[in-house]
Amino acid sequence: MRRVLLVLEPIIWGLFSAGMMVGGLLLPAWALVMGVAGPLGFAPTATSYDHFHAVASHPLGRLVLLAAIALPLWGGAHHLRHLWLDFGGLRSDGLVGTLCYLVAGIGSGLAIVAVARL
Amino acid sequence: MAELPKKTIVVTRFDPDKDEAPRQQRYEIPVEPDWKVLDALNYIKDNVDPTLSHRWSCRMAVCGSCGMNVDGDAKLTCKDALSDYGDVVEVAPLANFPVIRDLVVEIEAFMEKFQKVKPFILRAKELAVEAGPTHQSPAELDDYRQFSMCINCMLCYAACPVVSNEPDFLGPAAIALGHRYNLDTRDEGQRERHAVFRDDGGIFSCSFANECSRVCPKHVDPAGAIQQAKLQNVIDWVTRLLPGGGGER
Amino acid sequence: MSELRPGVDAMRPARAGATRTADSRPPDGFPGASRYRGYLGFGFGGFFLVTVSLLVLRAVWALGNGEAAWDRVQQSFQNPIYVLFHALAFLWLTWFTLRLFRLFPKTQPKRIGPLERPPDALLVAGLSGVFVVVTLVVAAILWGAF
Repeated sequence: MRRVLLVLEPIIWGLFSAGMMVGGLLLPAWALVMGVAGPLGFAPTATSYDHFHAVASHPLGRLVLLAAIALPLWGGAHHLRHLWLDFGGLRSDGLVGTLCYLVAGIGSGLAIVAVARL
Repeated sequence: MAELPKKTIVVTRFDPDKDEAPRQQRYEIPVEPDWKVLDALNYIKDNVDPTLSHRWSCRMAVCGSCGMNVDGDAKLTCKDALSDYGDVVEVAPLANFPVIRDLVVEIEAFMEKFQKVKPFILRAKELAVEAGPTHQSPAELDDYRQFSMCINCMLCYAACPVVSNEPDFLGPAAIALGHRYNLDTRDEGQRERHAVFRDDGGIFSCSFANECSRVCPKHVDPAGAIQQAKLQNVIDWVTRLLPGGGGER
Repeated sequence: MSELRPGVDAMRPARAGATRTADSRPPDGFPGASRYRGYLGFGFGGFFLVTVSLLVLRAVWALGNGEAAWDRVQQSFQNPIYVLFHALAFLWLTWFTLRLFRLFPKTQPKRIGPLERPPDALLVAGLSGVFVVVTLVVAAILWGAF
């Protein structure tokens, strides 16, 4: 399994880099508004279905949401795999790495479906 | 004349003929105010315990021989002031290396990794002498100069968590040097080196801990070299996939 | 892929030397020493990247299922554990991004053709500024300004 991951490494690294950038730029704002301000009642429009549907179903909105879901998944998966290696997990790297990237891959696939069906 | 102050140097000792595993030995010695750590070790060997074994040569941070772990961190002992440390100083062989004896480590694996990156100018066809000298502008030299400053002291290997956790990893100095040649306008071996960089233990094993650049005594910044190499490698990988993009040197 | 073990087999040569060697020791202080905190914190940022983006996915999926599903998800986000998680994620990912931008300059070549890489301090300040602007714009859009 580690051999397969090795062959795909350049593309994984590319997705990881993009994921860190996109995730770092978009997710803090999401966490702050949709995760803290909205649920605490400071941003009633944020949690409104009509408003979010209008934003999300716009072509640009779909694209940004797709990027905000899919790319950070690869960024995070790669980080977690390397964290596992940092703590001596070389023997199971093939399995752990594959699991991490499977989560990213399945999540990316679901993200495409999620934004397409809006 | 006033008596010199004393420090205790706790040195890791290992004699493969006598010791099962490395052990520590304490030496209390007088120290001069301007001493480096290496001076203390040489004093011990010259005056206290001639059996102590350690590597050193130039005493001026260019040969790369005297790398050791001092108080838990990778240092060049000829560059490191003893006065920076407390009354008790621990000197151990470089981390991440097998130990031959006392403070002398086995560096053969570095030589093996080093050779893999082909650290020399590679050309499809050598230029004839009659063609004259190859021209390289100051800007072109500047592109790789920093990465050519490596003295092979291997402090970067001693500090790198990936060298520890993935023994096949090429390591900071080898990659930085490979990158140095990739950036050299006289070189035509980028494709070959990128293939090595993509192999098991290649550049993508690096997780950018930046420890290598932190400990480097010559400010080579191998971490920077490795990240630059990753981007170059992905571009190389993509262009190989495109029609007409393949082909070796 | 060789059979070398992490830690003890670090920098072990392909051919054994003439004498018995003592095993390699990993670098001192890993993982608890302060010099590794930034690196390990950065690595653990991966956890927040994965979890927050999966929660975005959850919200967008519910959006596609209609208003009732959306409202249920929004209600679940009111759970104090979720709120605390998102607050921690916001702080951690902000630190993560600023650290990423601080490290960014050295990952770029010194020169691309005639264009020289800008001074590091300028690059970092510029990127951090972009982070602030984008965060404010995205937050404003989500908040309902547009």
